Amino acid sequence: MTMADEHIEPLTIPASTLYLQTVRSYILQHIGMLDFNEFEENGIVLAVDEAVSNLIRHAYRGDDTKKISITLSVDDDEVQVEICDTADAFDPASAESPDMRQYFIDRRRGGLGILLMTRVMDTITYKPAAVGDRVNTLTLTKRRRS
Amino acid sequence: MNKNFTVTSEPLSNGCCVVRLMGYLDAHTATLLEETMQGVITQGCNRIVVDFEELEYISSAGLGVFMVFIEEVRADRGDIKLAAMKPKVFTVFDLLGFPALFEIHQTVALAHAAFPTTT
Repeated sequence: MTMADEHIEPLTIPASTLYLQTVRSYILQHIGMLDFNEFEENGIVLAVDEAVSNLIRHAYRGDDTKKISITLSVDDDEVQVEICDTADAFDPASAESPDMRQYFIDRRRGGLGILLMTRVMDTITYKPAAVGDRVNTLTLTKRRRS
Repeated sequence: MNKNFTVTSEPLSNGCCVVRLMGYLDAHTATLLEETMQGVITQGCNRIVVDFEELEYISSAGLGVFMVFIEEVRADRGDIKLAAMKPKVFTVFDLLGFPALFEIHQTVALAHAAFPTTT
């Protein structure tokens, strides 16, 4: 049996930061037995946390009647995490990365989640809601080493 | 309230104080850290060591808290020095280049000793 045969139930949470720990536990539960080292594991958990946090704070603005759905899939080559929402579409992959040197000079705060995602994951893709479907999907992918 | 994260503070010698972090620091629990840091500064301490020894996890929301206060304490000739991070926590700071702005020490004692002696 390959890992692709394993069915992993999606996780759906209210759009509240109260549930970030639940999200991290869900991811770690399913990637903990794979061949990632602790930095890679933490990176995947962190990327999902950042993506979900951004949806809660910016897309849903803390409206915890809204839902976020997270689906993890694992095969022999990679781990994919799909994060689905029904807020206004925003493609994090298209956001301009901050220049960290200027960031520190300006003493800015916030806006680092997307940069972290790009630094720890291999690919980030975004599919905005189509007419009649209303679900945006962000897909984070991490390759497994051969 | 935040079972996954606790933060305490206590005075050290030489006009310093230590803020100790335990657990998981994320977009939910960062509010508690921000309140604690604000309280420490309001009470007059701007020479702050942050003890990460018991911190298991940090996201960008946690890093952002230190950005909120660094300007204010340095303007008052203080500093925020970070100490005793687990490697996976340090990696998050390092990925974003934070060691260029913040001193990160191996231990609380070393961070404490890095503050100049007050006269």
